[in-house]
Amino acid sequence: MSAAAATARQGVAELRKLPAFMRRDLLVLLSYRVAFAADLMHIAVQAILFSFIGKLVDPARLPAYGGTQATYLQFTIIGVVLTLVSALLLQRVATAVRQEQLIGTLEALLATPTAPTTIQAGSVALDLLFIPIRMGALLGVVALTFGLDLSLGGVPPALVVLVAYVPFLWGLGLTSAAAIVTFRRGTGALAAGMGIVGIVSGAFFPLSLLPSWLQGVAEANPVAIALEAIREALIGGAGWGAIGPEALVMLPASVLSLLVGVTAFRWALAREHRRGTLGLY
Amino acid sequence: MPAIEAIDLCRAFGAVEALRGVSLAVEAGETHALLGPNGAGKTTLMRILSGLVEPTAGSAYLLDQSVGRSRALRSVLGLVPSGDRSFYLRISGFENLVFFARLHGMRRAAARRRAGEVLAAVRLEDVGRRPVNGYSHGMQKRRSFARALLTEPRVLLVDEATHDLDPVAARQVRDLTTSLAASGTAVLWATQRVEELAGFADRVTVLARGEVRFSGSLGAMTAHARAERHELRLDARAATRWQSLDHALGALGGLDPADGDPGSVLLSLADGVALGAAIAVLADAGAEVQSCREDGPPIERAFLALTSERAS
Repeated sequence: MSAAAATARQGVAELRKLPAFMRRDLLVLLSYRVAFAADLMHIAVQAILFSFIGKLVDPARLPAYGGTQATYLQFTIIGVVLTLVSALLLQRVATAVRQEQLIGTLEALLATPTAPTTIQAGSVALDLLFIPIRMGALLGVVALTFGLDLSLGGVPPALVVLVAYVPFLWGLGLTSAAAIVTFRRGTGALAAGMGIVGIVSGAFFPLSLLPSWLQGVAEANPVAIALEAIREALIGGAGWGAIGPEALVMLPASVLSLLVGVTAFRWALAREHRRGTLGLY
Repeated sequence: MPAIEAIDLCRAFGAVEALRGVSLAVEAGETHALLGPNGAGKTTLMRILSGLVEPTAGSAYLLDQSVGRSRALRSVLGLVPSGDRSFYLRISGFENLVFFARLHGMRRAAARRRAGEVLAAVRLEDVGRRPVNGYSHGMQKRRSFARALLTEPRVLLVDEATHDLDPVAARQVRDLTTSLAASGTAVLWATQRVEELAGFADRVTVLARGEVRFSGSLGAMTAHARAERHELRLDARAATRWQSLDHALGALGGLDPADGDPGSVLLSLADGVALGAAIAVLADAGAEVQSCREDGPPIERAFLALTSERAS
């Protein structure tokens, strides 16, 4: 068997392990049923809050999408949901391995013939799939409850943007995970980073309100690009033709983020292995 | 070809030298005890052999392959770690084992079948569906064993398996190990419990302060026993003033209170000092020695002699 075939076979064998991680995490998740209700409550509170704030906002100051003038609640609720998806995924990816370290299972996992990157990917596989679905469902519930006029036809393009966006988050999370595995801390810096990204993403107000020098930065922010594309799809009903360029712009950012993240994470694990401190917390 | 081989292994953690030139070899089908007090370096050695920690110097081989980070080797290795916290507490023992079996490359159906088999092997089939956070220490240790058995390992590394088990549970774990060794598995059994080795371990390596102090059969190890500690029963008045008696002994040796018996003291003799000479000094100091016996069985005394400061 050639080396390439052996590598491919090993890759398939590693991929086959991902469902095992997903089942494990689903079983654990089912034992913590309150978390789902907490997310629902969080979004409901945000929706109520922003529905009142929206009464103070002149809709003319908000952008129009596909000729449709957005209401403030339409505008922000998409921002709230995407920010929450980003924060949850980022936090989960960044801390998944650390969590294994803390509960004492990391060395047991590494004692199996499983690659560290599979362990990392497996530990977040369910979240990568489930958190966007869960948040999408909650967005639907809020839209129905508050009578938000979101475009059903925009849902598939919005999902494509989300699929292109998730690897970007994953890469960021892996870089954070590398820092957390190395320094045993870092969730504070992660939260601060997310806060800054949130401000320059246009989640809660249009980017046009930012100072002009910051607008340039914000427009290149992958979070802002994803957010605008999703708004265009869900509020303006933009189709594939309009969304495609944004999704394409996301791809290099996602690839770069993943490459940096995987490299940093592997380096951090190798360092811990050399130091003999992988199992320490 | 030994199934487990360590050659001149060294490992430092900062300024602390956990292992200093440790070598050992374990043949297939052998149960080899790795005996040492706390901090001797047993767990570090186990972690190097299981590929979790890199040595600073030296080499480690399993089945004639360098340990390194070889993932293939982990398919033939069973590891029973010292702690209880290596499982997912909120899911059942069965689901935990299915998960780990799948990480060893088994398909779901095969993993479920094997998990059922190993749970039965460790007599946990009745509680297999319960979340593991409700397991007792003994059950947790047997569950760790069950995980190590998933792949029918050719090498089994067991770290402090009986450390906090009651005698019945400890016996069950040792019996499991013996049956595995009988089927050809090489077993390295790290422990600090001297008393469990007789009739169990084929050979023993004594580790202290990161160094090998002895390696060989239990019989050869017992030859290192020195009758240097004696338990003396004193009259009630003398026992209460053991510190002044200790002072009276001077360079001949020392006295310590015996655990759990206020009327007894432990006499440690300096090298070359006869027991009679020490007792004579105690009698001159006004103590009535009512009885005297050697402290601990020979293998324990051998262990103490081998791991003492003087032996280093």
